[in-house]
Amino acid sequence: MITGARQGTLSGLRRLVSIAMARDLSAFLIPGPDIARAHGLDFEAAGLHPVASPRHASVLLIVGAIPPALREAAAIIYAQMVRPRVLFALGTETLPPLPAADVVAGLSQQDLIQGIRQLRSAFAEGAFRPDVSDFDAPMLHVRIEYTCPMHPEVVQSEPGSCPKCGMDLLPREAQATAGHTHADHQEMDNSADRQATSTHDHGTHHTMVRDAPLEYTCPMHPEVVQREPGSCPKCGMNLEPREAQTEPTHDHHHMTHDAPVEYTCPMHPEVVQSEPGSCPKCGMTLEPHEMQDTQTQEHAGMDPHRDHSTMDPGDMAFMSMIDVTQDLPRSGDGLPMEWIEAPFGPFFPGLPGGLLLTLTLDGDTVAGSDARSLIENGDLLLQHLSMDSGSFVERLANRDPLAPVAYRLLACRALENVAGMDIPADTACARIGALERERIASHLGWLALFGQQTGFDWLRRRAASLQLKFRQADLKQILALKPAIQALTKRLKRTPLLESRTAGIGQLAPDATLRGPVARAAGISDDARSTDKTCAALGFTPVSREGGDALARLHVRLDEIAHSIALIKAAGAIELPAPAHVGELSGTGEAVVETPRGLARLQLTLEGGQVTAAQLDTPSTHHLTLITPLIEQQELGDALVIVGSLDLSPWEIQP
Amino acid sequence: MSAQTFFIGFFGLAAVWFGIVVFRTFSMVRSALALLFSQTALGAMFLSMQAEFLGVLQIMMMATEMSIMAIFMVMFMMDPGGLGEMDMTHQKRLSLSAGIVSFVAAVAVAVFVDWGPVAHTAPDAAQQTVDLGLELLGRSMLIFETAGVTILTAMIAATAVAIQPATWRSKHEH
Amino acid sequence: MTTVLILLLLALGAYLVAVIETWTITGRFQLAAPLFAGIALLGRESIVPRKPDRIFFEVAPVLLLISAILAAAVVPLTPDLIITDLATGALFINAALVYVLVALLMAGWGPDGAYAMIGGWRFLGQLIAYAMLIVMPITAVVMRAESLLTTQIVVSQAGVWNIVYQPLGFVLFFIAAMALAFLPPFDLPTAKGELAGGVEAEYTGVRLAVFRLGRLALIITLAAATVIFYLGGWQGPWLPPWAWSAIKILVVTATMLLIGRFMPRIREADLLAWCWIFGIPLALLNIFLVGVLVLVLP
Repeated sequence: MITGARQGTLSGLRRLVSIAMARDLSAFLIPGPDIARAHGLDFEAAGLHPVASPRHASVLLIVGAIPPALREAAAIIYAQMVRPRVLFALGTETLPPLPAADVVAGLSQQDLIQGIRQLRSAFAEGAFRPDVSDFDAPMLHVRIEYTCPMHPEVVQSEPGSCPKCGMDLLPREAQATAGHTHADHQEMDNSADRQATSTHDHGTHHTMVRDAPLEYTCPMHPEVVQREPGSCPKCGMNLEPREAQTEPTHDHHHMTHDAPVEYTCPMHPEVVQSEPGSCPKCGMTLEPHEMQDTQTQEHAGMDPHRDHSTMDPGDMAFMSMIDVTQDLPRSGDGLPMEWIEAPFGPFFPGLPGGLLLTLTLDGDTVAGSDARSLIENGDLLLQHLSMDSGSFVERLANRDPLAPVAYRLLACRALENVAGMDIPADTACARIGALERERIASHLGWLALFGQQTGFDWLRRRAASLQLKFRQADLKQILALKPAIQALTKRLKRTPLLESRTAGIGQLAPDATLRGPVARAAGISDDARSTDKTCAALGFTPVSREGGDALARLHVRLDEIAHSIALIKAAGAIELPAPAHVGELSGTGEAVVETPRGLARLQLTLEGGQVTAAQLDTPSTHHLTLITPLIEQQELGDALVIVGSLDLSPWEIQP
Repeated sequence: MSAQTFFIGFFGLAAVWFGIVVFRTFSMVRSALALLFSQTALGAMFLSMQAEFLGVLQIMMMATEMSIMAIFMVMFMMDPGGLGEMDMTHQKRLSLSAGIVSFVAAVAVAVFVDWGPVAHTAPDAAQQTVDLGLELLGRSMLIFETAGVTILTAMIAATAVAIQPATWRSKHEH
Repeated sequence: MTTVLILLLLALGAYLVAVIETWTITGRFQLAAPLFAGIALLGRESIVPRKPDRIFFEVAPVLLLISAILAAAVVPLTPDLIITDLATGALFINAALVYVLVALLMAGWGPDGAYAMIGGWRFLGQLIAYAMLIVMPITAVVMRAESLLTTQIVVSQAGVWNIVYQPLGFVLFFIAAMALAFLPPFDLPTAKGELAGGVEAEYTGVRLAVFRLGRLALIITLAAATVIFYLGGWQGPWLPPWAWSAIKILVVTATMLLIGRFMPRIREADLLAWCWIFGIPLALLNIFLVGVLVLVLP
């Protein structure tokens, strides 16, 4: 019995369809394949086929516990899936607003395979049901609001007319509020949204003045001229008042008020009058024409062929769309396209799961962006914690499933720093071994994500399989995998199109706020391991490259993998860090660790053996701020490669 | 013979109908693609008239051109979706008179010009292609070569004009 | 009768393309997988997005399929197995395949979603890149055959296949064919990692099935066109003509599908730049060389 069944009775043809569906399982992963791999799951080998769009998925696979904001986004994803659909949860009981999971299993490969077997039988038997109820959740209710195409700031909840210009308000979906109610496929109201977010500024040419006799004209149809206010008979807009002797109400005719004016028709220059009106031949508004023709700064962008004596017939006051769009901000390639606001995330294929990137796109160029993590992990920053050191270490380690060992090590080191303890050298070496193994797995996971993002399928599969192998490999296995890593590196150096895809993209200048591989690719050879005596004893030297672009970051991570293998070999052992017993200690201390993404710092305050305050500084928090300036005016594909190359972990981003 | 007439008439009417849709619809993209299908109908008409090369060429070229035009319409027009249902026609009297004059002129040309003797059968399509090729490289070479070079020049000039030099643009940026 | 047979063969070809594609992705031959996928797809709901352009949304997948079928209509599998041997066959293939662009633009515009729209626009940019590179190599091929008839083009390769006679044209046509079929590394309109499926993203159920079928038919038609133009069509020793056609088409299909797995997606700016700066001059050079060869060789 599945809750997401499709309406119908299970008979005849539908039975055949159910069997086919049971054999063809396509899954959409929450929060993402990177998390699934970090937990050691090989979903493709288990028989699930990952898809990029929830519309093409029949299984929603939830891996591990997910925070509330992500759950809401997952509910939206679930609603977008086509029926019959199944909710498959691993390692968690689904909490509202999602419905109860149809199949639940543990977080291991064996459990996954078991669960998939259950899935198949669930599909074969429950794909169609005569009585189905729709899935409903509060965030799915779309609020329709009404807005004026000319004045995007005018928003009402019922239909009506715009108070500013009198046009009929057009319906559109309510815009994103905090951003976490939107998932991948935001369906937008085409025209109204377009008009609302576009910057066609038809309503803002109110350079009206005051005492002179007024006449009323329509901004869209200047041939409509009346002496009293009213509505335009053609489009319904309120007529704009304008002085009889001054500038017409459209952008590109601004003139001084002093010089004598006469009125002429742009189409028929022979028609000249001394008062305003309409051309008797074509009905156009007569344009004022005077000796001194001053053009304002707005026209600097266009070559000045707008003065009336040289107005060509085809160039009517309001008809030239070049003029209409002249005030639109131009993107880097000079083409003014529609401005679209599109969310990329939080489960976007190719981006880290949990990262919500809202891009304002001008065509396919990024005009603006807003990046945030929907995973709010701020609970550990509270000043008034009270937990014993062991559970604190566990909490910190489980916080970021992409780098648990690094944070565990960080917590242990901080505790030891508070206690003033020294750990024996071989334990320290074994810990380094574990840290480096995680670094390798993390970088391979990044490579797999990069491959998915750039459509580099071979890399995605190879890096994913290597990551799964390295994750829990012991020393011998790691050394046995060394040739595979070397082959991968060599292959990547020879891949056509890879260099053109990443070279020169997302260039970062050396800057103190950069950390980790991002910094090292910009030429700063900062590495927390340089100051660690254990690492130094093992012969550690930081890698660094010049360039600071995405290609350099790729190579830095590849180099780091090779160096990590050498470090592990020198360390000779791998052992997960275990917290020391601190008893009833009090005090403060701090520690740093070079996580796979950069330096992380933890400051701890202990009172009577209980952790009372903790302050965590993570690299992804800093790198998140790099995104907006870096992807401005980039083409969409380049922008996504840039965001990917920063290797953010939304789990460690502090709000 | 009658089947041919039927198809010519059918595609001709389709071309006219799509042409009317171009102006009746509020959506810019529908307008552009309606024009595309109007041209395709014209190409089909040529095919029915057994001018095979011309018909295929018409179908091929117009699809590309109209699609690119559709994108430009999306770029520069205010309401590409057409949901605002704004009246986008201007200069109605002028265009109406221009349309009527052109129609009368076209009909006059069609009726009064001496097109030569009626051909009762069209040559075989393969033969037509050979003849066309010989014509292009023979009598009409000058026309087509100059037309081709002119179009190429116009393309290059348009591209050069459209690319704003980076320095000029940054100087004039607000 | 021939028509029905060829359409059946086209359907079979599309099925085999799906199998080959699964093999390139997973490394395993799953002969029944496309069948299950197809049936499952037909059994799912068909959803229409809010506020679509309904006409375009419905027509786009159908137009994609029709354009592929029309292009396949002039492709000869054996000397007698061709739906219609148009006198302008080589040109007609290109004319039919241009409507792939129209279909993808409609699919981009129709669903009223950002990803689809960007996918549609990107494909237009891609067309500007590959359009000349399809037509110019065909011109050189036609020059050698001295006819636009596809059967004549195959017959003209009786001595030496065009891949040897005009290798430059073959490379350019192959690349442009992959770009036309939006196969990786040219899968800009349906990028999974950048656009979450792009133009394909909003289609579900029956429409998605038609879209995917159209895409598969397009791939096999382009492979068939490559075989006709450059690989000697049905010609070959020992085996009957239809066997050679089938083998060659499947090999070309597998190559097209396999190549893209091993490199990242190309940047649109790079694609346009390379095609216009290198591709078109090389295509012109190819025409020139073929012209010289045609005049010089007996």
